[in-house]
Amino acid sequence: MEQIALTINDRQLSASSGMTILEVAKENSIDIPALCYRQELSPIGACRICVVEVERSETLVGSCHTPIAQGMVIHTHSKKVLQVRKTMVELLLASHCGNCFMCDKANICELRSIATDLEVGLPRFQVKKRYYPVEDASPFIVRDLTKCILCRRCVSACNEIKKEKVFGIAYRGFDSKVVVDFDQPIDKDVCRDCDVCISFCPTGALSKHGEIGEEKKGEPLIISG
Amino acid sequence: MNKINGEIYMQNKEQKELLVRLGEAQNKFGYLSEKVMIELAESLDMSISDVYGVATFYSFFSIRPQGRNIIRICKSVPCFLKNSQVIIETVEKEIGIKPGETTPNGKFSFHLTNCIGVCDKAPAMMINSEVYIDLTPNKISQILKAHK
Repeated sequence: MEQIALTINDRQLSASSGMTILEVAKENSIDIPALCYRQELSPIGACRICVVEVERSETLVGSCHTPIAQGMVIHTHSKKVLQVRKTMVELLLASHCGNCFMCDKANICELRSIATDLEVGLPRFQVKKRYYPVEDASPFIVRDLTKCILCRRCVSACNEIKKEKVFGIAYRGFDSKVVVDFDQPIDKDVCRDCDVCISFCPTGALSKHGEIGEEKKGEPLIISG
Repeated sequence: MNKINGEIYMQNKEQKELLVRLGEAQNKFGYLSEKVMIELAESLDMSISDVYGVATFYSFFSIRPQGRNIIRICKSVPCFLKNSQVIIETVEKEIGIKPGETTPNGKFSFHLTNCIGVCDKAPAMMINSEVYIDLTPNKISQILKAHK
């Protein structure tokens, strides 16, 4: 496979063509935070947390879905990148329900973890929050869409790993929502003995029945800044 | 890593026809019923949630029965600056319903829509597939009468 020479954070690197910026960074122990990206799933660039600066590119690019090119000069932690990344997390938190201390996943929540790392502090933006009823009709899964950040990992995980198509995305803009069939509460037989989507959910939106308390044992994540 | 160039979700040939097929069904029945969406999902080998997702994303598709005439007033900024609010209020008064509703006699459905591409002639609206431009409250009653 063709080797490509590129520069990340002033380091001269070489990698195989077809790799994404995020993959090359990872291989070279450069940590780029990402929420919607998971190695096992196709990258979709939904969360924009993994953005990096590529010289001569007009905008910041999502590193999880941008393939490397010959001579690329990339900055993963420049001032501009950090500012944008922080704002993205802030926006996610602003429309997130925010009841972390009531949430069983509080200390292992990836959103909260990234917010902690980036020291985003309290969101500056006052926006409408999305509240939905908790869905517990299924004996295999509890879904609390109030905590959903629309990263679409559950959709991809179900499609690509379980090879089922339980979830889809419906509506538009702020009304966007992960739906099951005609926007019905989740209660499917294919979910029996499967917790793939639950294991991929970065927040507390998807969980099993009766596991309350287990996740509270993680180190408390305090968002400073 | 080949996922970038390789197998991308929802790319088989039949699934690309979804929009066209939804459009045909919308024209034929006036809305997309659950029955139609289930049939489409089966014939295109897609999940119901994906078909429902596309159907609810586009504002020119509706998943509920609509009135015989569908009024769409532009809610984008250029129309807003040319007082589309007055036009919206006039239509509300004339037909007695708010955006998102259908008159009890089934004559009109009324929606607000994003830009319909005639900003130079704002404020604008559409009734069914006809575009009406440079609207004033006086024009509204005449236009609506033609559809009664």
